[in-house]
Amino acid sequence: MLTLTSPVETPLHRLPAGAKLAGLAVFTLGLFQISNLWVLAGLALALAALQLSFGRRFASHALRMLKPLWPFVLVLALWHLWTGALADGAFLVLRMGLAVAAANLVTMTTRLSDMLSVFEMLARPLSPLLPPRRLAMAFALVIRFIPNLAERMALLAQAHRARSARRPGWRLVVPAALAALDAADQAAEALRARGGAD
Amino acid sequence: MERSLTHIALFAALIAVLGLVPQITLGAGVPITAQTLGVMLCGTVLGARRGALAVLLFMALVAAGLPLLSGGRGGIGVFTQPSAGYFIGFPFAAFVAGWVMERTTLPVGIAAGAASVIGGIAVLYIFGISGMAIVLGKTLSEAAMLGMAFLPGDVIKVVLAGLVTQAIAQARPGSLLSRPQTLPVSAFN
Amino acid sequence: MAGITLRDLGYAAAGKVILAGLNLQLDQRRIAIIGRNGSGKTTLLRLIAGLVAPSHGAVTVEGIDPYRDRKGALQRIGILFQNPEHQILFPTVEEELAFGLRQQGMTQKDALRRTRDALAAEGRAHWAQASVSTLSGGQKQWLCLQAVLLMAPETILLDEPFSGLDLPAIARVTRRLEALPQRLITISHDPASAAKAERVIWLEAGRLHADGPADQVLPQFTAEMARIGEADADADLAG
Repeated sequence: MLTLTSPVETPLHRLPAGAKLAGLAVFTLGLFQISNLWVLAGLALALAALQLSFGRRFASHALRMLKPLWPFVLVLALWHLWTGALADGAFLVLRMGLAVAAANLVTMTTRLSDMLSVFEMLARPLSPLLPPRRLAMAFALVIRFIPNLAERMALLAQAHRARSARRPGWRLVVPAALAALDAADQAAEALRARGGAD
Repeated sequence: MERSLTHIALFAALIAVLGLVPQITLGAGVPITAQTLGVMLCGTVLGARRGALAVLLFMALVAAGLPLLSGGRGGIGVFTQPSAGYFIGFPFAAFVAGWVMERTTLPVGIAAGAASVIGGIAVLYIFGISGMAIVLGKTLSEAAMLGMAFLPGDVIKVVLAGLVTQAIAQARPGSLLSRPQTLPVSAFN
Repeated sequence: MAGITLRDLGYAAAGKVILAGLNLQLDQRRIAIIGRNGSGKTTLLRLIAGLVAPSHGAVTVEGIDPYRDRKGALQRIGILFQNPEHQILFPTVEEELAFGLRQQGMTQKDALRRTRDALAAEGRAHWAQASVSTLSGGQKQWLCLQAVLLMAPETILLDEPFSGLDLPAIARVTRRLEALPQRLITISHDPASAAKAERVIWLEAGRLHADGPADQVLPQFTAEMARIGEADADADLAG
């Protein structure tokens, strides 16, 4: 399945996923302690320079991943134009952008399977409640069934189009949920046929 | 046992798929994402514990780097965005919706609607508004004003959650794990 | 005790009787189960595989109860579902193949090595990391059968193994199945594909209708299907 990991190999790809996540946690906590606008601006420049050093393709991918932030940038801009506290507005936009961009950098340089292994390791203290193999099985099942359910949704939408001029909209949610329930029963049986979950 | 695991996994997949299909359009042509509807359904169909686990499973895969949030968002950055509070509130919303669903004897559709109001709006907004207040550096009441922009869409989703849960109860009575089983389910287990 | 024994076997779900009163001793190498849609063929297979518990009577597979003794059942019996889509549990080919081996107690490393060896032996080493969603219908079915074969059960249950396959794929699967040393119990509604079986069991409305060699049972079955096809309007509702 399509992941957000960048196909452009960087030195960061070779660092262990756990170390990157720990570093990110420290960075983000530290970020919220900073109160000086110019420190934030310096960090933003440094981060941008790092991403540009990995090539234009990587940098533009990173920029695209910041796109969901623009409504919030807009809200902050309008708000602080209204109150006149422009420096405060710039500070908040930079902090938000840095927090998200740094996290995206970890996502872009870590393979999905490595990240999931870290999660499975973090869940190990819970193993009496949540056996590690069952967690791994659950991850695999979701990844297996997303394309399957997406395809069924597309077929349902086509079946709707074949007999209706209106867009299917929320009407698809019922058959999609039923498809999920049926697939769950079938998968439970397939799992049992080969030894069950443990 | 197997059935519990596969239901959790398939509903995690359902939330993802509902986010990939942004085709739900309100009467006025305002598109809304069906993803939070998926979160509500986890609670109203699977019940508190399984519903919350399904949502957590979905969240883990999103955080790990699958672009499954509506609009193709994903990665660890979802925890630092202004909307992070909503994301973090998802499993609590599903749990509370499921908890309400398990404890009321109201008819399924009405119960699911009520459960979604409490879990999918009340609980979720507490988390979501707190998150926006922190990331955007605003007071809670200022953030609440921003949050109210989503209310009309969410009210519609509550109604849909009721209708969809009702339809599921009719089509697959044995599959509504949030309710005491009226039919024997010995066929599976 | 050798073979598979059904003793007064019955199954009902939601108050509806699906199978009743089956007493059979199955020890031939090639057995076909035929019958119309809804005659209970698939339910019978699921009972033999131990996926569901009988509502009445008992199933014994080589001396064990396949529903209660799952570990024992895994060594003795494998099942190929009619729709491969319902059988595949993992996102990649090698995970799907390795799973059953792990369930039989192999370590992850050994299971993956066995899986890769098996793929290489079939000239499909490049499939290991492939996403199952990219496989064609025939390839998915190949994967499901391979997953069952890797677990090396003594008996393999096949639910309409040719449905959804094109003609070359049917020829390939037929050849592959014929070469297997295991006992095969195959469901079919097509008399032609049951012709080579040593024994044919015909179910009708959840009960045994006929049981015997292919050359006795199949002509009766074909004649009866032709008669029904001409006569009734198929307006009865199930349940």
